[in-house]
Amino acid sequence: MTIETTITALLTLAIYSFLVGDNPIYKFAEHLLVGLSVGYTLVVTLKSVIWPQTIEPLFSGNLISVIPLLLGVLIFLRVSKTMAPWSRIPLALVVGGGAGVAIPAMLDARILSQMGATMSGATTWNGWVIVVGVSATLTYFVFTRKSTGALGFASRAGRYFMMIFFGATFAYTVMSRVALLIGRLEFLMGDWLGLIGS
Amino acid sequence: MRDSRRWVFGLIGVGVTIALLVRLGMPLRITDDTRTVYELIESLDSTNVVMISFDHEASSLPEVRPLAQAVVDHCFRREIPVVGLALFSEGTAAGYSLLVERSREFNRAYGTDWVYLGFRPQYASAILGMGENIGDVFESDFEGNALDALPLSERVHNYGDIDLVISVADGSMPTYWVEYARSRYEQRVVGALTAVMVTSFLPYLESGQLDGILAGLKAAAEYEYLLGQPGAGTRGMDAQSVAHGIIAVLIIVGNVQLWLRRRKPDGHNHS
Repeated sequence: MTIETTITALLTLAIYSFLVGDNPIYKFAEHLLVGLSVGYTLVVTLKSVIWPQTIEPLFSGNLISVIPLLLGVLIFLRVSKTMAPWSRIPLALVVGGGAGVAIPAMLDARILSQMGATMSGATTWNGWVIVVGVSATLTYFVFTRKSTGALGFASRAGRYFMMIFFGATFAYTVMSRVALLIGRLEFLMGDWLGLIGS
Repeated sequence: MRDSRRWVFGLIGVGVTIALLVRLGMPLRITDDTRTVYELIESLDSTNVVMISFDHEASSLPEVRPLAQAVVDHCFRREIPVVGLALFSEGTAAGYSLLVERSREFNRAYGTDWVYLGFRPQYASAILGMGENIGDVFESDFEGNALDALPLSERVHNYGDIDLVISVADGSMPTYWVEYARSRYEQRVVGALTAVMVTSFLPYLESGQLDGILAGLKAAAEYEYLLGQPGAGTRGMDAQSVAHGIIAVLIIVGNVQLWLRRRKPDGHNHS
């Protein structure tokens, strides 16, 4: 049992103390976590990105790195009432470039490829389940006509398909959260107290 | 029952604790998804390169570390060179420490058998940029070495030199690997995911946009079984099964209780 293990274990217990109710020990651990996360991200970004990609090249005479540095500084001008419009330049670049890159990629990967796979899969039993499920679920979101008759039947079927999806997702969520609990209990009883062998 | 929430937490806590202390040795069935990923890595050798991206936060480590360790061990055991990186800042140190630890275990040399590139923000541009030239995205590795100074990174220029990307993720990052690396560069991508993300990625697996999925702690246990190397995943599965059993019983009890309450003529649904 090292000092690091004990500190980690005590902080884990501090976080779990929330199960009894909100308390100062939990608050302390929560704030420490938030502070450390932000601090860690800042240091990693400074060390891995800002320093080697902008500051270092600047010192070695690569003046092109002034451009990203300047654009980065412009974003902070949002806090100034008079200079705030300048911050729109880097934001426009980020939004414009981001949308230009993301829209075709998303259309292809999330819509066209998915539609293609749904249609071409209708040669097997599973494929037909997917075709019926997608079609029925889409009819649930037809809001321009009243859901009666065949449309109402398909819409209800779509709702059942969605319920199955939500059920499966919730079950996986439970599985995921239990895995986190197992990880912490294994740490407390194994690494800290030494009750579990490796 | 007043404050039944705490009883639920308590019951699950006690159940998991007992299952961790007393090894129950419950049977484990290997799913097709896990076997597919295992066989995919099994088909590679020392002439191939696997890129492992640690796209997760520290909070999900108990679930993703056994998964990551299983695939890293498999790669190192088969002497497949590994290029590591992180697209989430919190995954940076986690990925590096895992690779350092496992490379020592398997006696794999840094620079020749594995390289760690470190962290890059703006994942879309990072993933796209690596398709053209990794050196444009990472001028140096995590340890500050120039990429052309290391034998492994010197010969890996872009996705054309990488046979498989494994995104160890607790969020939607594999989607971006599919959108930018798979769609544009035909890069094979596998998602090693927390269980909570699995249903979001099954459509990509069905459509063939993802080459495989490893789903949570259970997949880690299955992978450890296939490797013949029980570890954290295997240890956790007994506890997971016990917790699931308790939750299933509680759901049934809760529904029966609600049904009985509603049957009463003056029954109200008190929560």
